[in-house]
Amino acid sequence: MLAQQVANGLVVGSVYALFALGFTLVFGVHHVLNLAHGSVCMWGAFIGLIAVAPDSVFATGPATPFLPLPVAFLLAMLGGGVLGVLLDLLAFRPLRKRHATEFAALVSSIGASLILISLAQQLSQTRILRFPFGTFPLQFFRFAGLRISSLQIFIFGCVAVLFAGLLFYLYRTSFGRQVRAVAVNERAATLLGVNPSAVYLQIFFISGALAGAAGVLIGLAFNSVNFLMGEPYLMRAFVVVVLGGLGSVTGAVVAGLLLGLIQVLTVVYVSSGLSDAIIFSILFLMLLVRPTGLFAGLRRDVRVVRG
Amino acid sequence: MATLRTESLSKRFGGVEAVRGLTLAVEPGQITGLIGPNGAGKTTMVNLITGMLKASGGRILFGTSDITALSPSAVARLGIARTFQNIRLLKEASVLENIVVGFHCQEQTGLLANLLGLPAARRERRRFTAAARELTVRFAMEALADRPAGTLSYGHQRRIEMMRALAMRPSLLLLDEPVAGMNDVEANELGAIFRSLADDGMAVLLIEHNMRFVTALCDTLYVVSSGQMIASGPPGIVMRDPTVIAAYLGDDADA
Amino acid sequence: MTGWLLAYLPLLASAILDCGFAFSQYVVLRAGVFSVATAGFASLGAYAGALLTMRLGLPPALSLIGSLVVGAAAGALLSIPLARLRGVFQAIATLAFVQIVLSVSLFVEPVTGGALGLNGIPQAVQLWHLVIFLLVLLYLLHALGGSSIGRAFDAARQDETVAVALGISVVRYHALAFTLSGGIAGFTGGLYAFNRYSLVPDQFGFAMLVASLAAVVLGGRISVLGPVVGTAVLALLPELARGFAEQRYLLHGALLMLVIIFLPDGIVDTAKFRWRGAVRGNAAH
Repeated sequence: MLAQQVANGLVVGSVYALFALGFTLVFGVHHVLNLAHGSVCMWGAFIGLIAVAPDSVFATGPATPFLPLPVAFLLAMLGGGVLGVLLDLLAFRPLRKRHATEFAALVSSIGASLILISLAQQLSQTRILRFPFGTFPLQFFRFAGLRISSLQIFIFGCVAVLFAGLLFYLYRTSFGRQVRAVAVNERAATLLGVNPSAVYLQIFFISGALAGAAGVLIGLAFNSVNFLMGEPYLMRAFVVVVLGGLGSVTGAVVAGLLLGLIQVLTVVYVSSGLSDAIIFSILFLMLLVRPTGLFAGLRRDVRVVRG
Repeated sequence: MATLRTESLSKRFGGVEAVRGLTLAVEPGQITGLIGPNGAGKTTMVNLITGMLKASGGRILFGTSDITALSPSAVARLGIARTFQNIRLLKEASVLENIVVGFHCQEQTGLLANLLGLPAARRERRRFTAAARELTVRFAMEALADRPAGTLSYGHQRRIEMMRALAMRPSLLLLDEPVAGMNDVEANELGAIFRSLADDGMAVLLIEHNMRFVTALCDTLYVVSSGQMIASGPPGIVMRDPTVIAAYLGDDADA
Repeated sequence: MTGWLLAYLPLLASAILDCGFAFSQYVVLRAGVFSVATAGFASLGAYAGALLTMRLGLPPALSLIGSLVVGAAAGALLSIPLARLRGVFQAIATLAFVQIVLSVSLFVEPVTGGALGLNGIPQAVQLWHLVIFLLVLLYLLHALGGSSIGRAFDAARQDETVAVALGISVVRYHALAFTLSGGIAGFTGGLYAFNRYSLVPDQFGFAMLVASLAAVVLGGRISVLGPVVGTAVLALLPELARGFAEQRYLLHGALLMLVIIFLPDGIVDTAKFRWRGAVRGNAAH
């Protein structure tokens, strides 16, 4: 029984990790908390749903399948990436230009997220939408006494692939090197010939794409797509990135998996009503004891503590 | 009695010992210089004395009180004022407004007085503004008193910092590279002001790179290198000390 | 004419309460503390007040004092762990606080009524109470702003290192800001409870957090009129833009972005600064 919960926890955790990856990436390079990340994720789910069954969104008739899931998935990632770029251009770049504070960036991202949520609310007319039955062929397997669904395997697999891809990008390509240079010291990187604007655009694209992927996976996993679906994940993302270390990609994954485990285990063994309180208390404690997290991030000197 | 004394002060950052066994004394009415090549530990000393850094060992005595463990604001309230290497002013506020912030420690009237709109609160505010204006006269900036601090020259901004520090009515004034980047004329003008402050009884600790300035102005010199004291005494003698000369040979400090 | 005015009275009551919450947010931001804990303090104060009357039978006036005390105490307590954090980490920590309060108030059903909340709170607070409250609060905050405390807040916000070097104990003033913020939010929360008839935990979540923050961002976090103007603008928006009734979030969001990008100090502070600059410019000539 415990093993089953652990397995479930790891799957839930992998989604948390995927969501947090984009979030921590932007923080690591740009040093801002992008509070619009949740709404980009939500739009990824919407785009995926529109691609798979447009009628379910635009009309209220029976959903006729349109595009296959893999294509929809890629479109969702693409759409998320584009939204990410738009966010950078409209919400963050103007602030960078005048050397604004972290506070300003946070507020700007809140504003952007409100706009995105509002648009989705109108599009969905505040309904809760679903991926049509059969979008993902659901099968159950018995493995070492555990009951695992094909969807769970798919989710875990997607996250693993995307994570590996991100690591490759960051540590094996010249683009990635530029990203890391900007993360450590933007001015020095500029002097070395790196174009920071290009780096920011890339980062926001990747962050948005990852969020979009997470959105589709969440929509499939919980069989629900609604205009506020990204917000709880955003809250969870805070816990993940503080636990894992702001800006640390590996940290986001490790902490995400850990959080998934904690979430599932507290719901099952303690109380579902208190799981939120427990998780955020962990966050609070972490901020007091070790705010820099378990891993050092892309950015090494985060100004966290006084003095 | 020395206004400030450190006894075997040391500070360790992880494995690195930035400052070791530093003992110095700053006497009232004198300008004491603390000099040394880059990275010698001068700014660490300032931060230790003002409480921004916690000492790893040793003591700091202000008069007869042990201030080693005090917080920076407590140290400031006792009467130790400092200026910063990089100017930290409120660019948009006027010169006067910047100086008046320095009077905070002396504010008697608080919330209650303001709540009841007591004349005492307004009177005090006027008193501080007048005192700030007097300072601008002393520093030859009376005409610029109402201009935004950010619009003035570097030399003027340094003076504003000085005035703000003096508003605290300190017994010890810590000057962290106050004439960096100034030409000789400006530097000497400021030096004359330091001299008059010392003559009025203040203890002044001057951290500087500019050798000529320091030798001409200071009554006592302490030379640090790699976190340790290598010489101390009157400038004439210290500057001829072979260890001091050797310490500076590898450095490109301006002579 | 009076008919038109009467129609807007509920709006006015609601706006005054929003203004109270905005002031709670304003106090911490003015002191340079990046806290968004207001919604959490408000929840604690609201429930405390309502429960004191409903369960212990205290008269609303006394319960309101209870709201104030609970809010202030929460603020004071929260300031202790938060003294070591800065910037976004303060924001995250206070956000976690709001979530914890929300979560716990949903959970302890026997006390708070859980998700269904509390119903049947006596409507002891009328509009004229609220008007007096706002005027008194305005006066208190104006006096605070002009006192040495206000100046210390300003110094701490503008440059902490300098403030400390000038003898201002930033830790203590931040703690004071938290306590004030908690007290104001708690008391306003109590007023909210006794004006509304019912309380639900979700009223004190992200929406309230954003609304209070938006009001201060819009209006300004230095001048005491900032939160007033900010709240007024937010309250009037749905009335002015009747056609966009559905797109309320969208308008809020766009407004937030536009203001933070082009008018970062907020409406009132930017206006004040421009006016002073003009006066000074004239004086210099």
